[in-house]
Amino acid sequence: MPWAEECEEGAVWVIMCAAVKYNLRGPALIPRMKTRHRIYYITLFSIVLLGLIATGVFQFWPHSIESSNDWSVEKRSIRDVPVVRLPADSPIPERGDLSCRMHTCFHVYRCGFNPKNKIKVYIYSLKKYVDDSGVPVSNTISREYNELLTAISDSDYYTDDINRACLFVPSIDVLNQNALRIKETAQALAQLSRWDRGTNHLLFNMLPGGPPDYNTALDVPRDRALLAGGGFSTWTYRQGYDVSIPVYSPLSAEVDLPERGPGPRRYFLLSSQTALHPEYREELDALQARHGASVLVLEKCTNLSEGVPAVRKRCHRHQVFDYPQVLQEATFCMVLRGARLGQAVLSDVLRAGCVPVVIADSYILPFSEVLDWKRASVVVPEEKMSDVYSILQSIPQRQIEEMQRQARWFWEAYFQSIKAIALATLQIINDRIYPYAASSYEEWNDPPTVKWGSVSNPLFLPLIPPQSQGFTAIVLTYDRVESLFRVITEVSKVPSLAKLLVVWNNQNKNPPEDSLWPKIRVPLKVVRTAENKLSNRFFPYDEIETEAVLAIDDDIIMLTSDELQFGYEVWREFPDRLVGYPGRLHLWDHEMNKWKYESEWTNEVSMVLTGAAFYHKYFNYLYTYKMPGDIKSWVDAHMNCEDIAMNFLVANVTGKAVIKVTPRKKFKCPECTAIDGLSLDQTHMVERSECINKFASVFGTMPLKVVEHRADPVLYKDDFPEKLKSFPNIGSL
Amino acid sequence: MQSWRRKALLLALSASWLLVLLGAFPLLRLAVPTRPRAGASQGWPRWLDAELLQSFSQPGELLEDAPEPPQGPRGGSCDWGACFDASKCRGGGLKVFVYSAAGPVSETHRRILASIEGSRYHTSNAAEACLLLLPLTRDSSAGECSPVPPQWNGGRNHLVLSLHPAPCPRTFQLGQAMVAEASPTVDTFRHGFDVALPLLPEAHALRGGAPGQLRQHSPHPRVALLALAEERGGWHTAGTNFSACPWDGRCEQDHGPEQTHPGATLPNATFCLIPGHRPDASHFLQALQAGCIPVLLSPRWELPFSEVIDWTKAAIVTDKRLPLQVLAALQQMPLTRVLALRQQTQFLWDAYFSSVEKVIHTTLEIIQDRIFGASAHPSLLWNSPPGALLALSTFSTSPSDFPFYHVQQGSRPVGRFSALIWVGAPGKPPLKLIQAVAGSQHCAQHSFSEPQALGSMLRMQRKSRKIPPQIQIQILVLWSSEKPPPPRWPETAVPLTVSEGHRKVSDRFFPYNAISTDAILSLDAHSSLSTSEVDFAFVVWQSFPERMVGFLTWNHFWDEALGGWGYTAERANEFSMVLTSAAFYHRYYHTLFTHSLPEALRALADEAPTCVDVLMNFLVAAVTKLPPIKVPYRKQHQEARPPLAPEGRGPRPEPQPPVRNCINQMAAGFGHMPLVSSRLRLDPVLFKDSVSVLRKKYRSLEKP
Repeated sequence: MPWAEECEEGAVWVIMCAAVKYNLRGPALIPRMKTRHRIYYITLFSIVLLGLIATGVFQFWPHSIESSNDWSVEKRSIRDVPVVRLPADSPIPERGDLSCRMHTCFHVYRCGFNPKNKIKVYIYSLKKYVDDSGVPVSNTISREYNELLTAISDSDYYTDDINRACLFVPSIDVLNQNALRIKETAQALAQLSRWDRGTNHLLFNMLPGGPPDYNTALDVPRDRALLAGGGFSTWTYRQGYDVSIPVYSPLSAEVDLPERGPGPRRYFLLSSQTALHPEYREELDALQARHGASVLVLEKCTNLSEGVPAVRKRCHRHQVFDYPQVLQEATFCMVLRGARLGQAVLSDVLRAGCVPVVIADSYILPFSEVLDWKRASVVVPEEKMSDVYSILQSIPQRQIEEMQRQARWFWEAYFQSIKAIALATLQIINDRIYPYAASSYEEWNDPPTVKWGSVSNPLFLPLIPPQSQGFTAIVLTYDRVESLFRVITEVSKVPSLAKLLVVWNNQNKNPPEDSLWPKIRVPLKVVRTAENKLSNRFFPYDEIETEAVLAIDDDIIMLTSDELQFGYEVWREFPDRLVGYPGRLHLWDHEMNKWKYESEWTNEVSMVLTGAAFYHKYFNYLYTYKMPGDIKSWVDAHMNCEDIAMNFLVANVTGKAVIKVTPRKKFKCPECTAIDGLSLDQTHMVERSECINKFASVFGTMPLKVVEHRADPVLYKDDFPEKLKSFPNIGSL
Repeated sequence: MQSWRRKALLLALSASWLLVLLGAFPLLRLAVPTRPRAGASQGWPRWLDAELLQSFSQPGELLEDAPEPPQGPRGGSCDWGACFDASKCRGGGLKVFVYSAAGPVSETHRRILASIEGSRYHTSNAAEACLLLLPLTRDSSAGECSPVPPQWNGGRNHLVLSLHPAPCPRTFQLGQAMVAEASPTVDTFRHGFDVALPLLPEAHALRGGAPGQLRQHSPHPRVALLALAEERGGWHTAGTNFSACPWDGRCEQDHGPEQTHPGATLPNATFCLIPGHRPDASHFLQALQAGCIPVLLSPRWELPFSEVIDWTKAAIVTDKRLPLQVLAALQQMPLTRVLALRQQTQFLWDAYFSSVEKVIHTTLEIIQDRIFGASAHPSLLWNSPPGALLALSTFSTSPSDFPFYHVQQGSRPVGRFSALIWVGAPGKPPLKLIQAVAGSQHCAQHSFSEPQALGSMLRMQRKSRKIPPQIQIQILVLWSSEKPPPPRWPETAVPLTVSEGHRKVSDRFFPYNAISTDAILSLDAHSSLSTSEVDFAFVVWQSFPERMVGFLTWNHFWDEALGGWGYTAERANEFSMVLTSAAFYHRYYHTLFTHSLPEALRALADEAPTCVDVLMNFLVAAVTKLPPIKVPYRKQHQEARPPLAPEGRGPRPEPQPPVRNCINQMAAGFGHMPLVSSRLRLDPVLFKDSVSVLRKKYRSLEKP
């Protein structure tokens, strides 16, 4: 009732204005003050005093106002909702417009800019509608519709501000068309305050149509309103506008049915529906006759004792079965059309992990806009019903088990409660309005276990980047200028080097003057960092214009130009991997029951050192912004293991192993080996092992992959003239 | 007195203010208790008597809705169940008959015919066809095109195909025929029955087609953020820092560099805005090819192949009425998403759109999927490389059976292989080879071990490399020589099957039922391999199950002098083919070779036996777009000549003219040159290193 609201707002406004006026006039009264006005003041004082007392009472008397407020707003009885009388000649909306699409009938402006990309949904307050003679139009509200509106109201979509709403949900319950009077319900819809031909209004209906012809969409004229309907057919469903929803099965809440894993079951095919057309019944009986005990056709029980709910029992001849438990005994379960296309049995079947065999031509399966029903059901044309058994038998067992899992997952995610149905419906509409933020196919369809197990490589397109692009070398340095200059000179000899970037990690010292740097043929840039952190080496600097990055330490002078050029060529063939020189391995230590870092020269490799390694620039972005958990800060704090972290990150996101190139086994120059003693080496190993264990626990898995190969030039160590080889000087161990 | 009064008055005033502030609102609240207020506590009320509410359906009502007889099609409109008779399509998949034109054959008609003839769908017998294809073409005689064809039968099981829009008025009722047309309007399109085609330019390639333009995986913004499709057919780019709507040409301010491109060039921008009118649909393919992410503004046409292609992965369909929101969303789109969308445009372009043949085959594959029902392509196969045309659902519907999806699925190929030994003309039993291959099973290999401590997030993972299971192998000898096979074969620990019969050369790649492992080791009788070589190559193959892993290589090159492709067996610094006389590859390639390659190409391979290697390499390269993998091989001298040229052709460095002809005919058949060169060889980690030989796992690889 918006007029009432406006009225109330008006009242507030008047009082406020009066107060302001009073305040303004106050000082002007003072000069004209006279003794006979004393009464006036006394009166004023007493009013003030009373007002203060009253205020105090309101403020400090706990619960008096709030509780009454609660009572009036939240804890009301449905019997007390306001009654609205609909005049017999009040307007009726047009019939549904079959040509409606989101961009023609939906008023998208209402959804305006929204940083969270969530639509706002308003729910009309509950009214009881009666016709001219006082006869109610329908049941005020059903249990399910109340649950549905509660779910919307509790969700992020809800707003109580009608002016900010993008979608309107009437509180008029049209879940079951049989429970309402069509014309009067339409009139009730038409008088909603923001109806406007039904634009942006969403109706939920699960049981459409009525005898004798059972339309597949709600018969209530609804103009442009969106319909979330159970039992749409291709003739009534407006693709991309309406939403097909399941028919909720009340058994979902009543019965506790624990999950049963996929696998072979007692019956191959089961039919549990009771009201079937005789033609279908004959077909089913014929199936059973042909295939014997693997097919079970259940019927309504005729001779149940008093007090047993017929809904919960099914019979085959004289055998009585519990429903829905019996569904768990079958691999495939029939979902045949009745008068309506949408059947509540679908929900029970999915729940039992039984693969539904849907035989209902032209039926739009629930949420088919986003759910891939091929993965959870078998749709058989009605005229092929007699072949159903052979069709099902041609499905491989592995696929059947996959479908069983998928069926159960669909039920858990989208069928099991009214709330799940309501939220999935709103999410679908939300995805249409904010398509750039929509959930993906995988998010809708993959069960959680699949989501965890699958890897989506961010560089999935197989292509070999052009050689002409070259690579950018990034040298991380602190203060070893002499060594740095040697590295720069050496690296600049590599033909495919496109740019050299020096990351100056020392805040206390300025880099050498421009004139002192070696003169090289490619651009050389120096980036100064704000803090001495190891992660600076993996920052996606804007200066990096090539895809390929060569991370190189300022003391790696032993790599030959051929070796580096070959490394780049290998990276081009494996652009989504880390391509490095010395390889390392992780091992499971059975005694300590944890991971161990291995730098022995083994036959296997699972990591490469990033003292010199090629990789895609995109991984810099991932390292800096998407590194899971606290790994990044942990690495910076320990000043170690940034290379292991990078190996974990790349392996985890791509699911692929590293590529070790050339025989190179270590970076240490021969003259440096004497410096670090055995003990230093051992602490180093312990630290590195700790890193692996730490990262494995943060990632929740061990993403590293072990391989037994390395990449060499095609003619490496072949009996072939050295001068004809592309990379003759490939380096040593 | 005055001051007292004044003070009193002020006091009174302030007190009354206080009263108004503190008192009035609570009072007001009391007066109008039901007024909804802002705040989290508001919402749908919790009814006191919610427990007493009735269910929306009466008990039993859900079970008892009156049974209705099956219904026929209504109102002349069709859907798949009502208007298609799938019973004619049993066995052998979809068979298609194409009506030939009565008069002179138009160019479009010729292309449609050409792309179906020789494919696995084609039949020349209208009676055994399950689908009858009626091309509607522009330039037939007498203005009207395609009179009602002879087997019309009310249009049942007919597909009316018009590659180019509105060629001519139809002279007949569509009846029950399906329509495949370019960019149909959403109002008339029948989902699940009609097929939406892309709007192809007149000069679209018949086969192969131009590759996508994205040459790198860069997530970076391009020169321009947006390119806008223009009515005239060109593109109009706008810089990254504009604020107004660029798409109606009525922006108050124009920011950034702008330029208009002529129609031929492709846009160099991150996003391509394409208005919703139907003529603009032609821009869609251009954007796709250019790797410019299409942003469709309220399209009134159905996106091509929308039945199977998940366009949300490659394009953004949005509402033109929210320009600022769309712009903001595009500008703020995360790099990861841009990168993924961009790559998907390229994959889709290359898999389904780059040639007329691909478009036609995709159309037929969609219809075949409808017929197959439960054994149709899963969505993953349609929407990730190499695409559904190259991942045949007749092979399997489970992604882990294919070589392409292991990484995605977190699965690995089965740790076993089958050896397939081809015995050709000399008819000498390859006893030594059999021993070498059979010896492989004693080798300890990779394993799965149970995950232990790390519990929580389960991913099927190989953790450590202990517990070696045995590689089980089986050996299949294809005895294709005139001579009868020897009655006795050596005792081997692995099952050995000998299959006799004279075969064509291309039959070595037939999908034999006897092969049940993922990996096949293809061998010739005269190949010479050691157990070590087999072991190492197989371990490498497990890391690259979609590629061919071989020992001997060839390289292709462009011969300027002859203006054609050539290839050489000379040892070089790079290679692009591995010989199938000794190579590991996935058994799926046998299915693909036999069922997907055009008949003509296989016939060509049968004529010139070396061609069969070229053909297999072409096929794998066309699917993976990657080079094969070479592993070390001891007997280098064998590399000097193509081993599959037995007729005394000798170790000539230059291949013979018919062979050269072969690679060029293959390239013509594929429509492009799919081979990719590689410059690396995968060796064992300690290969030929100066470390103790005892450390090395594959020692015998290094013996001279």
